[in-house]
Amino acid sequence: MTPFVVMDCVLLTRMSGLPEAASLRELRERIAVCGVNVLYHHFHETLLRPSFDYPDYHNDFAVWAKLQLSDPVLAERFGILDPYSFSSLEELRSAMLDIIDERINSIPVARAAPRGGEFYFFEADTVVFDTGDRISEPAELAPAVARMTTGSVFFHFIEAQRREPIGMDDFSAWLLRFGDETQACRDALQSIDTGFLTLSELRKEICERLAAHCL
Amino acid sequence: MEKSLRMYEACAGSSAIRQLRMLGERLSGRRVVHVNSTRVGGGVAEILAWMVPLMRDLGLDAGWEVIRGDTDFYSVTKSIHNGLQGFPINISQKGWATYHATNEMNAETLRPVLEDADIVVIHDPQPAALLQLCGGRRGKWVWRAHIDISHPYLPVWKALRGIVKGYDASIFSMPQFALPLPHPQYLIAPSIDPLSEKNMDLSAEELEAVRVDFGLDPERPLLVQVSRFDRFKDPIGVIEAYRLVKKVQPVQLVLAGGGATDDPEGAEVLQEVMDAAKDDPDIHVLLLPPDAHRTINALQRAADVVIQKSLREGFGLTVTEGLWKGKPVIGGDTGGIRKQVVDYHTGFLVNTPEGAAHRIRFLLYHREKMRSMGEKAREFVREHFLLTRHLREYLILFHSILSGSSEPRIYV
Repeated sequence: MTPFVVMDCVLLTRMSGLPEAASLRELRERIAVCGVNVLYHHFHETLLRPSFDYPDYHNDFAVWAKLQLSDPVLAERFGILDPYSFSSLEELRSAMLDIIDERINSIPVARAAPRGGEFYFFEADTVVFDTGDRISEPAELAPAVARMTTGSVFFHFIEAQRREPIGMDDFSAWLLRFGDETQACRDALQSIDTGFLTLSELRKEICERLAAHCL
Repeated sequence: MEKSLRMYEACAGSSAIRQLRMLGERLSGRRVVHVNSTRVGGGVAEILAWMVPLMRDLGLDAGWEVIRGDTDFYSVTKSIHNGLQGFPINISQKGWATYHATNEMNAETLRPVLEDADIVVIHDPQPAALLQLCGGRRGKWVWRAHIDISHPYLPVWKALRGIVKGYDASIFSMPQFALPLPHPQYLIAPSIDPLSEKNMDLSAEELEAVRVDFGLDPERPLLVQVSRFDRFKDPIGVIEAYRLVKKVQPVQLVLAGGGATDDPEGAEVLQEVMDAAKDDPDIHVLLLPPDAHRTINALQRAADVVIQKSLREGFGLTVTEGLWKGKPVIGGDTGGIRKQVVDYHTGFLVNTPEGAAHRIRFLLYHREKMRSMGEKAREFVREHFLLTRHLREYLILFHSILSGSSEPRIYV
């Protein structure tokens, strides 16, 4: 059986070149024209970015709507968007614009952020590399995950869902090759709701599920 | 003793160190030269003092060059610095001529090293003109701005922009500090060195000795703010907050800072603070020497609550230092403090002495919550704001600009 190749990834944020947004209308204007890498960063890569925050939402737009626009309705609507449920980032953009338009139409005055609370549009450079680690047997997976960096957890569990097989993490995809005996384990992994976990918490959760359900 | 990565394994974690080694291996032998204007003193020299040895430890051929200049040059660069921070200072043609002449003089000696390097990192404006003077350069050049240039005095920025726009990339500490430039602008936040005297673990005996030295009562809660005696740090507001807390809780306050005597306004603020504190034996105003790092470390560790009630702030690394010591921080709702202090997670953001007093009382009453917030704060710093993260981001930048790829994802 082909061993599991442990990869790692690290990220560095940079300015996108777009001006910051100080109001909901400005946010709409910028989202309409920003590159898809900007959307990708603010939806997908926030977990990898250095932060002291432990926000309610994993996407930056929802956090901004809550904290800076003081608009909990908009925050909730942005917050529930699952970027992996869209077939492309353009579809995600379109959904965001619809939400903003609906919100602008439903409130008398479009909200604005306080000075210093503007939304900055970022993108990121990500470096991906092979760690040299290999996993041969399913029983080796849990201890190997426990040793992984949060970058490896992100790459194999979160970002993997955008690669073939779409919607599946790399661990489950690899375990699938071992047949029915790993079914319970795969089910356990695929039922993790990653929306409320930091990468460290996710690593712990994966290890616990691997230990409890199968291997 | 030269620093090595092995020394950081215990506090940063072995996986973080291993990750750095893997990123470093793929840059092994690459010649990286940092250039700044001083070998000792100031934040940039402090960073380079650990960064260059650690890059070498990772296998990079890293070096550190320091430009030389006379008092006229440093007088001009001080004006440039102030102008970039928004002070309306006119720099004469003669001043700019001095700036360029000094860079030319330094280029004469540094040119072979800089033109041969794979990557040159120029720190701050002083050596920025070296780029134009190294026409035979073969590597990538990065300008690292350590200061907030978001609201500059425009004539100064216009002149400097003409110099730095030719770089391949620039680095800023926060998005709020940056201005548009025609190249990628990366964001790398500052970090702390967990093994420095300011942040290293201290024994219980050492903490006790500091308590004795300053007459602090170990039985009563201690509030500590470490900062220059500067109105933007709002020491008077901290005293007001302390007095509001003291109405219901027996607390002590330490306001510790240094260097104020060199600065006329600092001396004035210190006097105002002394006047505000007079007759209260539980307010300790400490004017410490610039090298009192261990004392400051001990005071922060002895504190129950660390305060940084600034009215205006850059990144505010003293907040990170407090969080690293497992203390929730009551911080002013401004600048980089907003990035570090998250209500109910790592501390509280406040806007008034009343707000600070309210949050201090909350923490002193909810001791278990205070303890758990402190633990969480330390873990946030461990994961994201130690120098290992800072080093990692430089390595990512090097990989990125050396790849020459415009793709956001680079496989190495």
